[in-house]
Amino acid sequence: MSKRLSLVLLVVILLAVIAACAPAPTPIPPTAAPKPTDAPKPTTAPAQPTAAPATKAPEPTKAGFAFPTENITIEVWWHEYAPMTAYVKELIEAYKKVRPNVTVNATVASSTDMNTKLTAALAAGTGPDVMDADASYYVAYYTKGVLEPANLDVFGVKTYQELADKYVPGGLASGTFDGKIYTLPYQGNSMSLFLNNKLFAAAGLDVKKDAPKTWNDLMALCTKLKKVEGNRTSQKAFEFPYHSPRWQLQDLQPMTEQFGGKLLSDDGKTAYLNSPEAVKALTLWRDVTKACGDPKNTKNTASDPNKDFLDGFTAMWITGPWATPQVTASPVKNDFTVVGLPQVDPAKPKTMVYGWAWGVYNKRPDKNKIAAWDFVKFMLSKPDEWLGKAGFVQPVKGVSDSATAKNFPFFDVHMKDVQTATWYIRSEFVNEIAQAVGRAVDSVVYDGKDPKAALDEAQAAVEKVLKK
Amino acid sequence: MSALTSTQTRPIWKRLNWNVTTKQALFAYAILFPTIAILALFRFFPMLQAFYVSLTEYDLLRPPKFIGLENFIDLVQDPLFLSSARISIMYVVLSCVPVWVLSLGLAVLFNRHIVAKNFFRSAAFMPVVMPAVVNAVVWTFMYHQDGVVNTVIGWFGVDPIPWLRSSAWALWAVIIIGIWRATPYYMVIFLAGLQAIPEEYYEAAQIDGASAWSQFRHITLPLLKPTTLLVMVMSVIVAMKVFAVPMIMTGGGPADSTRVLPLMIYQTAFEFFKMGRAAAMSIFLFAAVMIFTVFQIRLFARGEE
Repeated sequence: MSKRLSLVLLVVILLAVIAACAPAPTPIPPTAAPKPTDAPKPTTAPAQPTAAPATKAPEPTKAGFAFPTENITIEVWWHEYAPMTAYVKELIEAYKKVRPNVTVNATVASSTDMNTKLTAALAAGTGPDVMDADASYYVAYYTKGVLEPANLDVFGVKTYQELADKYVPGGLASGTFDGKIYTLPYQGNSMSLFLNNKLFAAAGLDVKKDAPKTWNDLMALCTKLKKVEGNRTSQKAFEFPYHSPRWQLQDLQPMTEQFGGKLLSDDGKTAYLNSPEAVKALTLWRDVTKACGDPKNTKNTASDPNKDFLDGFTAMWITGPWATPQVTASPVKNDFTVVGLPQVDPAKPKTMVYGWAWGVYNKRPDKNKIAAWDFVKFMLSKPDEWLGKAGFVQPVKGVSDSATAKNFPFFDVHMKDVQTATWYIRSEFVNEIAQAVGRAVDSVVYDGKDPKAALDEAQAAVEKVLKK
Repeated sequence: MSALTSTQTRPIWKRLNWNVTTKQALFAYAILFPTIAILALFRFFPMLQAFYVSLTEYDLLRPPKFIGLENFIDLVQDPLFLSSARISIMYVVLSCVPVWVLSLGLAVLFNRHIVAKNFFRSAAFMPVVMPAVVNAVVWTFMYHQDGVVNTVIGWFGVDPIPWLRSSAWALWAVIIIGIWRATPYYMVIFLAGLQAIPEEYYEAAQIDGASAWSQFRHITLPLLKPTTLLVMVMSVIVAMKVFAVPMIMTGGGPADSTRVLPLMIYQTAFEFFKMGRAAAMSIFLFAAVMIFTVFQIRLFARGEE
């Protein structure tokens, strides 16, 4: 009797506990859910801005629009990058003076963790008012219905087009869905080729005259710039990234486009990872690596992606303008030159632009959403400071004319690369695509696999994902 | 009538004619309730939930869609999943076997009367105390082309090995860290087992002229059987769940060579946001751990017989 009773009691207790706390997974119901077919098209990146003057201060909001007067607390999350963190903290302090009734709580997360943290928080309904994400991720947030479109009243405009007109053509393409603007970028970076002047000079090269324009030029320099002592590489001429699949995709995408192909269709539904152009690009990648690099010997990591270049271990390295403050603070100092991304055919240049953008969570109270967009507007109001303090190129009109831009090392080169760029692949499955590409690159470079076979596997993996 | 009324008015717990055993059982359950509740809430319920999620397509932000066994069927046909499972099995086998041998060997050594025994015991335990993340970062530097490991092997004329940048070596690099970190932990468990063996057995064996090896073979090993079983089961479970070191050091690369199952589960769940698929993978992992454990227990039980 006692045994049976014990058993019954145990079961009852367990059931009671489970029943009491057994809500099904509680996703946020998508409100105003966009159609899945609204996937944005990769857009040609902004052309070089020239016309409008630099925006120095927040513009006045629309007449009649009243900012909430009650106390508001907004949560702002951004990814860790020391110069950016310092600048955003400055902006928060400045904003307190403009809007004393708004308290801004800041959370900083590593760039690799941000998407995970953000998605988990959005799923739990505890997302921040202002979020920061890689522009390529926003398509996923948009299709899942958690983004608030830009508040036109806050920006003092009547239409989205009016807001878009403040930016260079295509500047807001990464955050425009179904005709509405959902995110505003604080960086739209080109990927350009950084050269170490000292290493060039030591190899008897003139960095101005000998800087490579094509991949063939680059490979020709490698015999002079790569140094091997015994069985160790003591200096690399050039290296592709191997610390992150996303960076690998960042380089393979423009290379494929330089051969006249693309990796993903405009509607994001078809992958062309094993197209002849992609195979040519990966074959070129392999050949350049053999001639110029040593991928088995690198200190680059996800949190320190430019390490080998900063240490003077790699003579040529592809990175964005944001790396400039790091380079000048490193032993390389100002002894560097930036030239355009090497091309297959310089007459038909193709480059790539990627960036991070601010977005606003749509499940927050109205007053918070207004304050959130107001804070975003305030943060973005000084693009020259973003450039000077964080090295980020904001694709807003007039940024080229600012004194900061004129003093920023090789700003014209970065902007020239931006002109011929397409945005980094935007897809709900961007991480899976990047991982498939990274796997293909690794297997070619590290295991000597045939590029076509490696990309066939990547294509099969991505097709399976896209089909679902 | 009045008696009936009197019975009805008695409190219910007084009307239940519980004997002493029942009362004791109830008391025990009352005491156990908080623990059971916490376990149920934070352990069993999420596990049950994972079973449910594995039957769905769920990306966190949209409602889960029931798809039956599709995730499981898909996984057994997925070469990436199968490759990841193979890597996990390699990791378990290649790290656990050396751990068992080394930890037992060290335990036997530290159970002897040696100079500065406590110091050496504490020093040997250091890798366990160090957080996994710190381990991973420190070893990343040590494995670099110009790091300590290559410098040391260079003294013996061995060429530098691209430990973390070669699909042939990366898994070995992770396995070495696993062995380095796990050995002292299981050594302590073996040490406790050794100290529980009565000294008289060894004295009797010595009087009978048994060699050190005979004593080890016929006294130590048989009497350590329960401890050995514990170490084997625990080490296999821990090895199957290895995550932090490959995640930090290699991210699963190069070319997927270190993408162990827990890492793949993490990436599927929190980078690709395919919760259903990740849950199905974790159920495979759970099943594998269960099969290993039951197999080991049965193996030992058969030995006992």
